[in-house]
Amino acid sequence: MKNKLRTLALAGAIALAGLVGAHAEETILLGSHLPLTGKLARVGTGMHEGIAVAVDMFNRQNEGKYKVELVTIDDETNPAKAVAAVEKLAGEGVVALTGGYGSNIIGPASEAANKAGLVYITSGGVAPELSKRGHKGFFRINNTEGYSKAMMGLLKDMGVKKVSILYNNKEATTDLAKTVEKDLSDQGIEVVLHAFDGATSDFKPLVNKVKLQDKSDAIGMVGYENDYVGILKAGTVLKPDVKAMVGVWSLATSKMNEEFHDLVQTVYGTSMLPYPAEFTSPEAKEFADTYQKLFGKEPDYLGQFGYVQTKLLLEAIVRAQQAGTLATGGLAEELRGTDANTLIGRVKFDENGDNPFFSHRMGQHQGDKVVLVWPEDAATGKMIFPATPWSQ
Amino acid sequence: MFELTLQALYSGLLTGAYYALVALGLALVFGTMKIINLAHGELVLLAAYVAYTAESQWGLNPLASIPLALVLVGFVAVAVYLLVGRIKKDRELNSLILTFGIGIILTNFVLLVWSADIHSTTTTWFQEAVVVGDILYSSRSEVLFFLISIALVFATWWWLTRTWYGRAIRAVSSNRDAAMLMGVNPRQTEVLSFVVAGVLATVAGIAIYTGQVIQPSLGLALTIKAFIITVLAGMGSIPGVLLGAVLIGVIEALTVTYLSSSLQEFTGMVLFLVVLLLRPQGLFGFGARRG
Repeated sequence: MKNKLRTLALAGAIALAGLVGAHAEETILLGSHLPLTGKLARVGTGMHEGIAVAVDMFNRQNEGKYKVELVTIDDETNPAKAVAAVEKLAGEGVVALTGGYGSNIIGPASEAANKAGLVYITSGGVAPELSKRGHKGFFRINNTEGYSKAMMGLLKDMGVKKVSILYNNKEATTDLAKTVEKDLSDQGIEVVLHAFDGATSDFKPLVNKVKLQDKSDAIGMVGYENDYVGILKAGTVLKPDVKAMVGVWSLATSKMNEEFHDLVQTVYGTSMLPYPAEFTSPEAKEFADTYQKLFGKEPDYLGQFGYVQTKLLLEAIVRAQQAGTLATGGLAEELRGTDANTLIGRVKFDENGDNPFFSHRMGQHQGDKVVLVWPEDAATGKMIFPATPWSQ
Repeated sequence: MFELTLQALYSGLLTGAYYALVALGLALVFGTMKIINLAHGELVLLAAYVAYTAESQWGLNPLASIPLALVLVGFVAVAVYLLVGRIKKDRELNSLILTFGIGIILTNFVLLVWSADIHSTTTTWFQEAVVVGDILYSSRSEVLFFLISIALVFATWWWLTRTWYGRAIRAVSSNRDAAMLMGVNPRQTEVLSFVVAGVLATVAGIAIYTGQVIQPSLGLALTIKAFIITVLAGMGSIPGVLLGAVLIGVIEALTVTYLSSSLQEFTGMVLFLVVLLLRPQGLFGFGARRG
């Protein structure tokens, strides 16, 4: 009798579990490693916010069907720790990885992901070599060419004849500076390259070389926020006779406009969004609202990139899950089949996992705003040219 | 080329004075207690962030925030000393590990409180150009802290050599037991040297905030630079800190002008290694006495 009761209870429990299971959400474990501390903490945190927004929106839209659990590990801006993070996440059973910042970190981290058979998607490293390693699971939504196209397009439209490019000697910035040099030279624009160490704090000797030796029409800056501020401070003191100061990422942002308002006036940088941001599509509005709800601020370009890469990855995971190929390597194929219009434009991956449709826009700090000034069809205002912060 | 060279020398001189300001506190503790405080850069950074908070929240001029920063940095400096003071065995080596750990904790504290964003003063007065003879350019902040740096180097040197407390610190450093027999309280004098190092770190932090960009990861880089200068100058040589720092500043600026900006850290390190090879006691240090 006792045994019968036990068997009945067990059968009941199994049936109940099955019943519950039939209606339960499927949990998807998603991994992410990012520099939340160390030199790249600011950009890493920015991307992390975008990833968190994508996960939050996905969970709300798929309530009752899928639930994504995001496991994030701080790689401390350290390649070795990024590799350890990927290995740990693989051990915990994540289905894919989103994140990574800095080409020198993404390189070994995505190598570890490849060995573990995991898909790795990023927007934090633009070094061309990353997508030339034959990794079937490596994807990125942006690349050097997209930044170069924007910088080159703007300088060409300005009609400048000679440009001095000051660039941080890190891998990604060096690659971008050399790509811009080649693109500009092909257009007949003379280019002088000046590499600088990331630890440089006084840019006056370098800017003085541009002023007295190069005598260029414009200064291009390929670096990070602290580099831009250092170069612009040196420019404010030395006042080189140039017509424009043009940078790339992390420059034409709301943060720089608020924090270094006078220093960045009329300076250009790559920017997908004007500031204050104007969101028109329903998805963009929901993205901005969720960002505001989670972090109490307006989204920036880092969040936007983090959001897009994670959204595309999650959509591919669902497709692979529905096709029953998620556990058998179908995720990479699903991502490769992606062709979507996103918040950063069209994304379609080639055989190397690169997005050849990526093209950036150029924004200019004008008063309290960042106005999109290039390309013409995306412009939200006219560029102020010639102008530098010290000629205002 | 003449103009470029002159500007490079001038920039190197100003940068060197700022390096000296950062290194002075480390050199003081190293020279008097044989302790390398690897959290010194984080103390400098803490002062800079206090100045940032005072300016962004209450509109205080960074110079006016010095007293506030002094209190916080002085408090942390004393806390560092109290922790180091608990080490009974292999103090030189173990204090190295302990202060490195404190540095990491302070960096993460800064990250937690102020986030990873970069900051610099918004007071335009500090950024405005000072032009000498239409050929030498600098910002007001650089000139101001160049003068303050020189004054502080000589004030520290005078204090160590001419005052009772300064002599007491040197006596404890030379022979702790003999100093005690002479009526010197070693703990008190060591706390004092940490407090003075905290004062120097505070001024250095304000200098960085007004002239450069601050971010949480800056602390370690400052400690390394200060350590290089301290060793280059020679242990215990306070005026040597200024000369060593200016030498590094000028070499870096000339490297940018004649070679490449990407080599400036490299040439600074080469100079450091060459000096260590040729004069292990540093440029202005004394060799070990033979009995």
